[in-house]
Amino acid sequence: MYASQLSNRYLTSRIIPFIAVAAVGLCVALVIIVVSVMSGFLEMVKVSGKSLTGDVVVSRPITGIPAYAELIREIEALPEAEAASPIVETFGLLRMPYGSGDGGKQVEMVEVWGIEPESLDRVLGYRSKLYWKKPAESELAGIAETDPRRDPFFDREAEGMALRAKDGTDGVVLGIEISPFNRRQRDGSYRTTDPRTGGQSAAYFMANTEDVLLTLVPVSDSGSLSGEKKRRFSIVNEVQSGLYAVDESRVFMPLAAAQEMLLLDPRPVMSRTEFDENGRPKELGTGPARATTIAVRAKPGVDPDTLRDAVERAYVRFYQRVTADPGQLVDPPFPDSVDISTWEQRLANFIGPVEKERELMRTLFSIVYVVCAGLVLAIFWSIVQEKTRDIGILRAVGASRSGVLWIFLRYGLLIGIVGSIVGALLAWAVVDNINAIHDLLGTPAPAWLQVLAWIGVAASLALAVMGMVRASALQAVVWVFITLGLAAVALVLLQHRGFLVWDPSVYYFSRIPSSLDMNTVVTTMIGGVVFSVIGASIPAARAADTDPVKSLRYE
Amino acid sequence: MPMLLEAEHVRKTYRLGRHDVPVLKGASMAVAEGEWVSIVGSSGSGKSTLLHLLGGLDRPDADSGPITFAGEDLRRFGAARQNRYRNHDIGFVFQFYHLLPELTVLENAMLPALVGVWLPQWLRRKHELRARATELLEVCGLGHRLGHRPSELSGGERQRVAIARALINRPRVLLADEPTGNLDIHTGGGILDLLAERHAAGLTMVMVTHDAAVAARAQRQVRIVDGRVA
Repeated sequence: MYASQLSNRYLTSRIIPFIAVAAVGLCVALVIIVVSVMSGFLEMVKVSGKSLTGDVVVSRPITGIPAYAELIREIEALPEAEAASPIVETFGLLRMPYGSGDGGKQVEMVEVWGIEPESLDRVLGYRSKLYWKKPAESELAGIAETDPRRDPFFDREAEGMALRAKDGTDGVVLGIEISPFNRRQRDGSYRTTDPRTGGQSAAYFMANTEDVLLTLVPVSDSGSLSGEKKRRFSIVNEVQSGLYAVDESRVFMPLAAAQEMLLLDPRPVMSRTEFDENGRPKELGTGPARATTIAVRAKPGVDPDTLRDAVERAYVRFYQRVTADPGQLVDPPFPDSVDISTWEQRLANFIGPVEKERELMRTLFSIVYVVCAGLVLAIFWSIVQEKTRDIGILRAVGASRSGVLWIFLRYGLLIGIVGSIVGALLAWAVVDNINAIHDLLGTPAPAWLQVLAWIGVAASLALAVMGMVRASALQAVVWVFITLGLAAVALVLLQHRGFLVWDPSVYYFSRIPSSLDMNTVVTTMIGGVVFSVIGASIPAARAADTDPVKSLRYE
Repeated sequence: MPMLLEAEHVRKTYRLGRHDVPVLKGASMAVAEGEWVSIVGSSGSGKSTLLHLLGGLDRPDADSGPITFAGEDLRRFGAARQNRYRNHDIGFVFQFYHLLPELTVLENAMLPALVGVWLPQWLRRKHELRARATELLEVCGLGHRLGHRPSELSGGERQRVAIARALINRPRVLLADEPTGNLDIHTGGGILDLLAERHAAGLTMVMVTHDAAVAARAQRQVRIVDGRVA
């Protein structure tokens, strides 16, 4: 009973326990903040990655899968599948409508997706990623008078969904980072800037500029090139996926146009055994169009692995049916030669390093626990030293060694618990406001704050001088250090012009992840408590071993 | 008269660095129930060491004679029994009061009672123990100081709290080590009066002092010279 009373009283009546609580709290907060931000980042990468490929992807690059419409029907009939969409994936060259500075036009290497917008929207939420949409009334105030989005007939969203310009020509949707005139803002939005003035410019609004010229090179199943295909497209919209690597290179175009340019459209099928009177292979009929990729979305609650297994079985059924049908002129690829994988498998090379980074950070910052235990040990060592006489008194009135041991272990436990709670609250406050803190760091300090800092410097300097005059070394030393600290803060504020720690172009996302990872919170708090008790255990054992006679003689 | 506390040829040696320093070299004494004995002697003669051995704060040498309390040999006590002996059978009063600075006067006085109980017992006996401590402190003239911290008390008041603490568990023996050694004559006299009252109420007391006038308040004096009872 006395152990609880004493350890509670020790905790609240002295300054040293508060230092210990602060040390544990800071350690716990540090680990939670770092790991939470890393976990949030990983989660954002995963969510974005998943939204870029669908839950499961059926892929047969270059030559594609014929009769894919039938495969899609087979997949969409699965109870595990919500929707499926055909895609033609390839690489190409995009000649931009602006110059490269050397007299020619800028040419970009791009990743091209031929898509069916409606079905892709069902699988990947394509519509939600279109960037240029008709602004809401509340947003109009922040948009320049000359901005094309103020046009009452502005409807780029519909054009992006149709991949067709108002004049009826085929359109493309570009990743928003492809254009160097789209300047990303701190809040993650984009402004189209004029390269000459840096100001907002309707002239450089990509969808308002000239056409782009897209060059694709069809590749035969033997690997030979069939000569490049070039076509002009109108830019109808831009897309923001959230992943910089995608937004800087991806171009969406109509599926039929992509099939046509890559020779994956319905084409005559020639016999290899029969020839006409001129000795040319006999035409058997027209083969079906092909798609290189089928993106599949799982029904809510269905695990991607489960869906993948179901899609694999569906592909086998599709293959058997098509190959058995004499009316089908072209057989689909063997099931083994088609890659059917979940989004996690497909993005493993991308997500893996981020996961490794997070674990590395977790491991490195776990060293903080040892620091925490060391701090508690040092602080408790000094507490036990100071409390030697109290220990003697307790032993004199009948306290056992284990009782004394328990006082200090319980004391360590309390410091661990209180410190962990304080640390978790601090971490919550920081993580919850991390973007506001970042924005604050990114803006120059206001004049009043600078003045306040210098007033603080002058006041603490005066107190340091007073300490010297009164010959109080403690007061003088403490206030000299506070003066130096405040002077450093004031100088930083004076020089500070705002800096960007989280650069969206480097970190893919415009905002720093700001949600606490509850697993990390719980494990870190437990770690904080355990290491506090470990740190307290050695001084506690020393206290239990204290000879009461010696400690009471000491005065 | 039956002896309550008895030491027979008690030896105690301390080790200082590489040297053994014998402090008690076969000291013998006995205290009858209800008796007030003073142990006197010069500084370093071993009187405090004898008191600590009588109170179970320390253990005698392996070749020492026995120390008995009500016929029980303290050398045979296990750790738990020895703790209970200090907590229940003995009350200590020290020269420097030795109060816990974080606790109030009332809490300090209750400390030995808290050492002996677990939470359920405490909850059951809380009011009884508080009443007992309050009564003792009132007897010691500190009824108006219950919520104060030791740092807010004078030396004499602190020693009164220490006496109340020593008596909270109704011990059979009070061991006092220079109880007035840190007080002026007037205040020390008040403390001795308080101890005399308790003795009159039947308490057995052993008091270590180097002050002849203080020692004279006891019924009997035992002089220690060079580790032996003279």
